[in-house]
Amino acid sequence: MNEYAIQKRKERIKFTIVSVISLCVFFGVWYVCTAVLHLKPDYVLPSPVQVVEAFIQKLTQTNPDGATLFGHIAASLQVALTGYLLGAIVGVPLGIAMAWFRRIDLFVTPLFDLIRPVPTIAWIPLMILWFGIGLGAKAAIIFVSAFVPCVINAYAGIKQTKPVHLWVAQTFGASRREMLFTVAIPTALPLIFTGLRISLGTAWMTLCAAEMLASNKGLGYMIQLNRSLARADLIVVAMLTIGLIGTIFTVGLNALEKKFVKGGRRG
Amino acid sequence: MKKKRFDPEKTIYAVVAIACFFVLWWFLTTFTPVKNTTPDPIAVLKLLFESFYTPIGSKVITGHLLVSLRRVLVGFGVATVLGIILGIAMGTSKWASAIFKPIFELLRPIPPIAWISLVILFFGIGETSKYILCGIGAFTNVTLNAYTGAQNVDPELVGCARMLGTSERDIFFRVVLPSCTPQIFAGMQVALSTSWMAVLAAEMVGAQEGCGWMIQRGSDTLNITLVMVGMIVIGLVGMLLATLMRAIERRLCSWNIMEG
Repeated sequence: MNEYAIQKRKERIKFTIVSVISLCVFFGVWYVCTAVLHLKPDYVLPSPVQVVEAFIQKLTQTNPDGATLFGHIAASLQVALTGYLLGAIVGVPLGIAMAWFRRIDLFVTPLFDLIRPVPTIAWIPLMILWFGIGLGAKAAIIFVSAFVPCVINAYAGIKQTKPVHLWVAQTFGASRREMLFTVAIPTALPLIFTGLRISLGTAWMTLCAAEMLASNKGLGYMIQLNRSLARADLIVVAMLTIGLIGTIFTVGLNALEKKFVKGGRRG
Repeated sequence: MKKKRFDPEKTIYAVVAIACFFVLWWFLTTFTPVKNTTPDPIAVLKLLFESFYTPIGSKVITGHLLVSLRRVLVGFGVATVLGIILGIAMGTSKWASAIFKPIFELLRPIPPIAWISLVILFFGIGETSKYILCGIGAFTNVTLNAYTGAQNVDPELVGCARMLGTSERDIFFRVVLPSCTPQIFAGMQVALSTSWMAVLAAEMVGAQEGCGWMIQRGSDTLNITLVMVGMIVIGLVGMLLATLMRAIERRLCSWNIMEG
């Protein structure tokens, strides 16, 4: 190992320690502000210890919001995954079709542009009206939120296929279909995955909103209900759980992307 | 960006598609059971025009829009400034990155909407909590993009400037900052639409005015026409904001327009 590498390594260790200290300070300040100084009452800002206690309690107890933490997670996951998968299954092929077939592009794009600027959250009342407040409405809302980025990215992905590649395929006698499946779609895959990742993020965010407005189970509901009960510790538990699950999703999708996408990552 | 030439086929298809959409909507809401729940397009358009002079709640529609816009712009503006500073600091200095990145990464995955309850408990349901929610929505996006932008500055450019004797301050303002501007703008685009979404959610959960409140009120009083009017207006304003951002971007980074 040469000197440069050793120095590099030392530096890395140093900054890791700084990071750890910074996190400790963050939690320390939080703890001092709440548990020692009581700057804000407990029901507004709980101390980290209370949050951990609430978390452990919530693993087994159903009070006060009617389900254990796992119950809420399961309810949220069911809704989110149903809507998300439907959105991806419909959105990606639609985006590909829009980019590949000129007629579909001309016909569907104006409609899509009409729907797209409306934020998903604005759909909530309408969806509740159409589908009731059960799984259907929430899945439909998440469907909309996941659908839009999937379409946009699949569309952009196919559109960025280099004409030269298509000409080569054509010269070697590939059919239109072969060109789509062996040239255009592999080119679009990185962007399609970007779309999947973005839509997972928006889907997960929309889920919270949907569950806050109409639900009786789920992490968003947990946040909403515990506000009216002034149990800030449980709110923080739910928030951190939402963040954690979101992170797990992102990591999982990145792993999938690495497995399926050939060549370097672009865009 | 390529200048689009007028394409008659495209226009015809667009007109036909949108006409189909409205006809289908009208058909469904006139002749099928859907009409029990959903108003027809004519009723929606009528209410849209009426709402410009008939107040909904305390204000006419433009009033609600301005309220929502003010909330978004205040939150977005403050968060953007903070986000750019933090992001660039993290991207250029290892110390800043070591100190702030773990905390940022801990809080980043929590969607802005999940903050609503805590923010309301903390600041009440007044204006402050709405500003903060819009701010949270914008902050993470801007910070993340400023960070990646500052990190990906071509080291060759920085080295080149340094070799030619540029002061560190000039390197920052003339090399680092311009080269991450496009990335920052990409972040601001996303941030603005996230803010716009966050304000709606915040207003739907607790407010007395604003676009989100309008929708929620329509839903509470089973006035679906009002909900749809709200959706249309919100969509239009969202589109307008995005266009505006893109125009500013084109002005400021004319040397590096990202495709889109």
